[in-house]
Amino acid sequence: MDDLLAEFVAETREMLEALESEIVAWEQVPGDKARLDAIFRFVHTVKGNCGFFDLPRLAKLSHAAESALAEVRAGRRQPDSALVDAVLATIDRIVAMVDALEAGQDYPEGGDDALMAALEPSNDDGGEAAALRAQSVDKGQANSPGRDGPRSIRLPVELLDRVMSGVSDMVLARNELARRLRDYGVEPTIDGPFERLSAVLDDVRDGITRMRMQRIEHLFNAFPRLVRDLSAELGKQVLIDVEGGEVELDREMVEMIRDPLTHIIRNAVDHGFETPAERIAAGKREIGLLHISARQSGNRILIAVSDDGRGIDTGKLADKAVASKIASRAEIAAMDEDEKLALIFEPGISTAAAVTSISGRGVGMDVVRANIERVGGTIDVTSAPGKGTRILLFLPLTLSIIPALTIECCGQRYAIPRSYIEEIIHSRSGSAELVQMGDAWLATVRGERIRCLTLAAVFGIDQQSGPQRATLILVRLAGGDFFALAVDRVLDHEELVIKPLAPAVMATGLYAGTSLLDDGSPVLMLDIAGIARKHDLISDVHRRVRRELPGLEHAVSAENGVPVLLFTGLDSRRRAVRLDVVNRVDKVEPTSVTLTDDGARIVLDDKVFPLAGVNRGAVPEGRFPILRLSDGKCELAYAVQAIADSAQIDGEISPAARAGEIEGIALVEGEPVEVLDCHWLFASEQRGSAVLNPATCRFDGNDPWLDTILRPLAESAGYRVVSDETQHADVVITTNGLGDGAGSDADGAGNRIRVVSDPDIAGREAGTIYRYDRAGLLAALAQARMGRVA
Amino acid sequence: MSELLLLARIAGRRIAFRALDVNSVVEIDTLTPVPGTPSFVSGLAALRSRALTVIDSAKALELEQATTGLEAIVTEHDGHLYALQVEAVEDVAEALSEPQDVRGSVGPGWEHAARGMVESSAGPILLLDAGAIIAGPAHSALRAA
Repeated sequence: MDDLLAEFVAETREMLEALESEIVAWEQVPGDKARLDAIFRFVHTVKGNCGFFDLPRLAKLSHAAESALAEVRAGRRQPDSALVDAVLATIDRIVAMVDALEAGQDYPEGGDDALMAALEPSNDDGGEAAALRAQSVDKGQANSPGRDGPRSIRLPVELLDRVMSGVSDMVLARNELARRLRDYGVEPTIDGPFERLSAVLDDVRDGITRMRMQRIEHLFNAFPRLVRDLSAELGKQVLIDVEGGEVELDREMVEMIRDPLTHIIRNAVDHGFETPAERIAAGKREIGLLHISARQSGNRILIAVSDDGRGIDTGKLADKAVASKIASRAEIAAMDEDEKLALIFEPGISTAAAVTSISGRGVGMDVVRANIERVGGTIDVTSAPGKGTRILLFLPLTLSIIPALTIECCGQRYAIPRSYIEEIIHSRSGSAELVQMGDAWLATVRGERIRCLTLAAVFGIDQQSGPQRATLILVRLAGGDFFALAVDRVLDHEELVIKPLAPAVMATGLYAGTSLLDDGSPVLMLDIAGIARKHDLISDVHRRVRRELPGLEHAVSAENGVPVLLFTGLDSRRRAVRLDVVNRVDKVEPTSVTLTDDGARIVLDDKVFPLAGVNRGAVPEGRFPILRLSDGKCELAYAVQAIADSAQIDGEISPAARAGEIEGIALVEGEPVEVLDCHWLFASEQRGSAVLNPATCRFDGNDPWLDTILRPLAESAGYRVVSDETQHADVVITTNGLGDGAGSDADGAGNRIRVVSDPDIAGREAGTIYRYDRAGLLAALAQARMGRVA
Repeated sequence: MSELLLLARIAGRRIAFRALDVNSVVEIDTLTPVPGTPSFVSGLAALRSRALTVIDSAKALELEQATTGLEAIVTEHDGHLYALQVEAVEDVAEALSEPQDVRGSVGPGWEHAARGMVESSAGPILLLDAGAIIAGPAHSALRAA
């Protein structure tokens, strides 16, 4: 294919990708001028481009669509559903032709005339156009090759992986070299170049990681169309609402979740939503709402698919389970709702009464779950009868780098994927009570009994000693099962590049892979699911085990802890911020930061945001992470040294002594952590934008208290303090008595605030404020400023 | 035939591996044990930022005495790197013949890894297959059955 033609194909694809959601939006509101224009532009551009190539069929089709849309734009024709269908069918045909063009094949003859006829105004046979469309969709799906992002080059994922693992190896080799250099003492002639190499390598690694990242939009953009086509076919009305398309995740991960997500959406449209008539009968809006959202929380991505359909019928599910011999009647009877709901993940279950063409092709939620788990994710389903269903997917950001917790057992270090870890309990702390049942141990955590395995016993090293003096790691398996793993010590959080193990080691079923720690020593990653399976804690018996722990999931979720993100500030102190306000985490260049007198600013995506956190340490020299915090309306950035982890604050936050960036101190995993005061942060940044034209304030009197103590308060309230008595001041603050100051007229000041050191006087005399009545002072200052504006 | 052989000693006996199969010879100083594995797997070691699975050759051959030496032969098998611990690595010699059957058995344990006798510039020597050692004794039990 010649280059120009390839360019044409790529450009058409690019426009189409942008257009996908527009098309559906336009269909819902055919009168929407902006959307109409976008679609018009598309066919117009295609038509124009066809002129350069010898593509008569494409040219004809796009011309017909263009003329029809032009009529609509000119108001001479109403965009009825027949027209919409015809236009969409034409676009589909264009796509199919472009695909064929790229593959170097000839698109099958015929059918074009029918499409063009459907575009004609006289045609009122909507059914025909719809049929044409369905037909062309089928064809399109049959031979459409996998499409790529806009203007991208295609690379085999293996190549990316090879480069990635090469870079990871380089990092490890660098670490080893660094260690040796340290051992042999400092050699300045080597140190400089090594530092440079090291910095470059970090940059490259960052780049490679991002090379693998893709906006989830690429996946989401196809969903409106999918839902539209499905609901049209099934006679349902579904409105799709997609959110969080800007979240980025590993390219390969995007591919891996494409099918599971598509399946979940098909399920929702097919089984979840009622027909419009049923919905009205149930007192709901006839149009169902499908909400798909993606959110990054810490180093995990949360994807939620929720519908407001009929919910999952657990009774039916249970009957099905009995019919397909997944569970016995007695077992079902002992299950609570959540357990019954979890049956949906059992192989061979489908709640659809009839197998439709959309879902129920024998691909069930068990396959979806298996696929999600294969990439290290978990899936969770909640449902309320008659109200809807919500499916939550938790996914790791990347496939090859796994966040892990390193632990010690019998003098050796091991790693556990962090995704499994629910909680860490020190058995000495008394929050877990341990009892022995035969040879087994049970831990009682908040009233729930949890099977406890000692890692040393799992390894067969030490069968005797119990978990009494150990640290318990509460592990949650994908199916929702819990167990506790007793280890000697919890060491550290690490991001590990996991490599496969030799078959002889894999055969133990205890390990999932290996990685090299920074000091060059190998560490084994435990296969938590494998260990659980070995000890009969999941699979066939998992319902039984789950029943042993009734309500545990509730107990954990009912803790009502505050989810927070732990990080290290620029001053190297450990802090936490409420996860809810964290929009996302970005890495930025120091050059994007501007330090100004009234705080720092940062340029992100061509917008200027206030940057907090920099007053606690110098701006780093290399790229550094920032937290993007949002209160729903405003966004600000907070500079940090490193992101540590997400955690929960279960206890109280003991308030800080004074108002400021820190709300208070909380205990996270037994260590005190400062919690950011988001209210204060946003409040002060709002102020930041208001100080562009600061009001002025002058202190009257020689009391050093004014300058040292009051000045920061006045400044934080948005005042510029002037000392020149001849200058105009919007407000004058004085400590002098009522009688001995000059009159307010002489100052040329609009306002006068008198502060006194005796609260009694402040209570007695109007216009005076006790010097530590912060609220009073701020109110007076604010009022004075209001006065100025007025 | 001018194939090179690496001569080593396992449990007091002189043996040879094909030099083509050998990546390098290393000294294993720190070993990370891997609980739960068969005893012939000594553990993991790091070599140039790659993890090696360390195999005790003597135990893999089900010989009485365990390997005591520090030296190990690094070989790649099915995409994984292994280090075969041997008593000592002795020399490199040129093979002067194709492997020939040794009359009768070379003894239990040796049998499944032995590829025959090779005449070399250092005299006749038993040629062992690294892959068979890596597979371990379980493999030999299967073969016997």
